[in-house]
Amino acid sequence: MPTYQPAKLLRLHIAESDRFGGKALHESILEKCRELKIAGATVFRGLEGYGETAEIHRPHLLSRDLPIVVQIVDTAENIERLLPVVEGMLEKGLIAISAVSALRIHK
Amino acid sequence: MLSKGVAKKVMIYLNEDTQHHLTPLYESILTYLMHKGVAGATATRAFAGFGAHAVLHTPKMEALAEHLPIRVEFIDSAEKVEEVLPTLYDMVTDGLIEVQDTRIVKAAMKEKRQSESKPPRTREAAKAKLMQIFFGEADRWHDEPLYDAILKQLRMMEIAGATVYRGIDGYGAKGHSHKKSFFHISRDLPVMISVIESEEKLNQAASAVEGMLEDGLIVISDVDVVRLVHANLPTS
Repeated sequence: MPTYQPAKLLRLHIAESDRFGGKALHESILEKCRELKIAGATVFRGLEGYGETAEIHRPHLLSRDLPIVVQIVDTAENIERLLPVVEGMLEKGLIAISAVSALRIHK
Repeated sequence: MLSKGVAKKVMIYLNEDTQHHLTPLYESILTYLMHKGVAGATATRAFAGFGAHAVLHTPKMEALAEHLPIRVEFIDSAEKVEEVLPTLYDMVTDGLIEVQDTRIVKAAMKEKRQSESKPPRTREAAKAKLMQIFFGEADRWHDEPLYDAILKQLRMMEIAGATVYRGIDGYGAKGHSHKKSFFHISRDLPVMISVIESEEKLNQAASAVEGMLEDGLIVISDVDVVRLVHANLPTS
């Protein structure tokens, strides 16, 4: 019986067009996560959505600004370590944390 | 209709010309089983065979072509089988009855489903569990994509629902980046499957997925299901 460890799931809701340090914000966040030796991160792109500024993120013919969600799962300590860093990177957006139990499988 | 799980399979071997009250025995057996409400029964004519009489029944010999073997088989619960066996024992004056343990994997009925009065289509607020499974798009399971295999497995376990998401970028413990690159034909983007179910069923699903995952992460958290609505509309 494998044992699930308590962990935290961090979700960052941002936009595809957000930028930080000369590149896409989600790329910068991923780089920062690697730098801080965070266990892993996944970037998802939504099909459509809207956020705080109430503009609808929907693909246009030439330009698009779709919603992006970055999901990070790691121990509570590591998430605490990462949190102030990403808070500083996000100009607008949403950060959500939930308590989870996690099982890392590596055969 | 039969439900999934353990059941009994009964096989009766007869001759086509064995009679029972002036009708062929296999017809009498089928009529009896239907009358007793057995879920279903099939009579099959064999191509050739031999039985206790040590006469080879084959269509090649005209005289014996009328005496080909017949097999009647049906599957039902152990109780039902126990109920009908004494009568079958009595009816089969020339032949063989055999019972096997079996497992029903799927029992589906197409038309009946719509006419049946459906249970309530909505489930109100309840505590549930959310499972998220993270792995790579290129991961495979027995020559098919792992996400397909997991989805099929979950469907067979009658898990309420699952959604597969493909990420656009990411990295896991392997350290290699899952990023779509212009020059890379082989794609290994991150994939996430999310499943929401009751705690009991989700635990079953989790242990099934644990066995299939080579390298990945399973995350489980508590959620509140606000409302669950099924899509199939009432026929009336």
